[in-house]
Amino acid sequence: MKKILAVIKKEYKAIVKKKSFIIMTILTPVLMGGMMFVPVLLMKVGRTEKKIAVADFAGGYYQALTAKSTTRQEPGKPGFDLEGSMRKPRESEVAGLISFSPVKLNGRDAAVVVREYEQKILKKEIDGLLLIPADVKSGRQVSYYATSISDFATNSFIASTLRTVISQQLLLEKQIDPAVVREATRDVLVDTFKVKKEGTTKSSSGMDYIMSLFMMIILFGVLIGYGQMIMRGVLEEKSSRISELLISSAKSTYLFYGKVLGIGLAGLTQVALWILLSIILVSRFSGAVDASILSFLTPEIGLYFVVFFILGFFIYAIPYAIVGAAVNTDQEAQQFSTAIVWMMLIPYFIGFSATQNPNTTLALVASLIPIFSPILMFMRITASTPPLWQIATSIILCSLTIWGLAWLGAKIFRVGMLMYGKKPSLGEILRWIRYK
Amino acid sequence: MNEQALSLKDLVKDFDGKRAVDNISFTVRRGDILGLLGPNGAGKTTTIRMVMNIIAPDAGHIEILGKNFSEKVKDRIGYLPEERGLYRKLKVMDTLLFMGELKGMKIAAIRERGRLLLKQFQLDGYEEKKVEELSKGMAQKLQFIITILHNPELLILDEPFSGLDPLNIELIKDIILSSKREGTTIIYSTHLMEYAEKTVDSLVMIDKGRKVLDGTLAAVKAEYGQKFVKVQYEGDARFVGALPYVKSWRDSGREMEVELADLSKREQLLRDLLEKVTVNGFQLSEPSLQNIFIRKVQEGERA
Repeated sequence: MKKILAVIKKEYKAIVKKKSFIIMTILTPVLMGGMMFVPVLLMKVGRTEKKIAVADFAGGYYQALTAKSTTRQEPGKPGFDLEGSMRKPRESEVAGLISFSPVKLNGRDAAVVVREYEQKILKKEIDGLLLIPADVKSGRQVSYYATSISDFATNSFIASTLRTVISQQLLLEKQIDPAVVREATRDVLVDTFKVKKEGTTKSSSGMDYIMSLFMMIILFGVLIGYGQMIMRGVLEEKSSRISELLISSAKSTYLFYGKVLGIGLAGLTQVALWILLSIILVSRFSGAVDASILSFLTPEIGLYFVVFFILGFFIYAIPYAIVGAAVNTDQEAQQFSTAIVWMMLIPYFIGFSATQNPNTTLALVASLIPIFSPILMFMRITASTPPLWQIATSIILCSLTIWGLAWLGAKIFRVGMLMYGKKPSLGEILRWIRYK
Repeated sequence: MNEQALSLKDLVKDFDGKRAVDNISFTVRRGDILGLLGPNGAGKTTTIRMVMNIIAPDAGHIEILGKNFSEKVKDRIGYLPEERGLYRKLKVMDTLLFMGELKGMKIAAIRERGRLLLKQFQLDGYEEKKVEELSKGMAQKLQFIITILHNPELLILDEPFSGLDPLNIELIKDIILSSKREGTTIIYSTHLMEYAEKTVDSLVMIDKGRKVLDGTLAAVKAEYGQKFVKVQYEGDARFVGALPYVKSWRDSGREMEVELADLSKREQLLRDLLEKVTVNGFQLSEPSLQNIFIRKVQEGERA
């Protein structure tokens, strides 16, 4: 037993002390956080006020645009546009950042105005020109001239404001109170409540979906990454001819289990550090941890994550170790490991539908199959609350599978470790299993 | 305490229908150095791997340090495999710590003895270097340190000299001898019989999986008697092979080893030699192990 600890210690230290481990541990949450926060920060910091000249041939629209751009809208609250739906936050970010100025038309032609302002835009005296033709009400088409036209927020702000103004005018012409239409077309919002045994909580379904995908991706990435690490480790022992020395010092099963456990612990350490760092990052940059993340990350989910991470780790790591012991070159190993990755992708694809419909027969059956359940059962748990017996069954089935795999793996490991140079056939591997 | 450190009885191993080890039996006394001699492919490594329980014999029995092989006995054996290597990315001291712990040693003990051995092998100062940064010779020394780190009662070395430079060969010979003085039993295999000649107490010669000869060095040499003469000469000495009283001869160009049918013919040989070549040296000698081996194999083929 002491020897197995020695192997665990050595394997664990070998990974944890690596520079790449430290870099990845710090970098992953920073990058993930970066992906979430940087666009928002850029929106806030990187924007400068846009100066747009309005050539209003129809009349009255310039006033409407300036009226709206000076009133900042609170995100999520219905604005004064007729849709009455939630105003997109992006659009409200734009409001207040655009200053409109009128173009004195003096009876000039549109083409003349455009020519004059093209020069101004190029000289950067102004950022853009909005040309509203006289027939905008029926034609519903305006033109926008600028050096940069990829700013969707500005475009949609202009479009929605003009639409509102036109609609209001039309309604007034037909003597309909805009307030009635506004009321009639108001959107219906769906508040989602998750019903659980412990009580019902309000939570956003989008958040649940994203979080469960997010955790599945972590699970998937870590399983592949660490599985391949085990495979390469075994292969290295073979190719550096150290295995004979190891087997003459300790039982091969100890070497095998020690390796899998040591590398597994390193993986668990990394995930734990990621979670810790993420919480620190999130609470530092957004003031407080988002309530909806907290409502998702219950201790229960955390516990299941750890349980299914461990089960999944062994179910995939042992085949990786077996591949490492059975083959002789990196190329051969790569072929087999691709097959393992495909096996892992199956539950991943079923998982996409399972997060939306966690209780279909397909999802239920697949989540009980041991090679799928670490990923699928976990997804189902995050998406709904499967009956306890299903969770228990999948854990028991997984454990039995791991026990069988470990037995098989130790046998193949024992013989494969000492087979140098020769590529074994399947028949030979079967003989190894029977070898005492 | 059992007198025997190792005893093999009727060991047989087949690989794909070919007999690699054919009924080999021998014993090694505690405290002795035993040489397992034979050409490449004779079955030495297979025999050693069976002793180390790395492969299972098809038939026969092995008793090691007085018992059947067990996990516990591994800690009392120092084994240098023919196929050897180390973790390239691991540091020297970490390598010792890991291998020592695998042999059931305590960490403090590993550090203490590790430092002592590193110093003895002139590797002190390299504790924190990675194995891949060591030269080939240094890595070989480290490999040997690992073998003796845990003060084994029994050392089993498979081709310990292969690939070593002359300095390291001397170093390892010294270590073998000093281990013997401390009471360690040593078994080593080699196809280089000149090395064995200078160190072993007893020997087992195998060829094509069969034992051709065993016994103490003294007994083996005595059996082949003092019928050998070593001659240093200059000239064309090919006629010696045809002399009626010469049983066999081995010519190296400037030196030859001649086996006489009868030792009393030695003066006759000297006279015949002086007629045809310049003789620089002439002395009675023990037969070399190489010579004995060749004789034995030839006898076996004739029979």
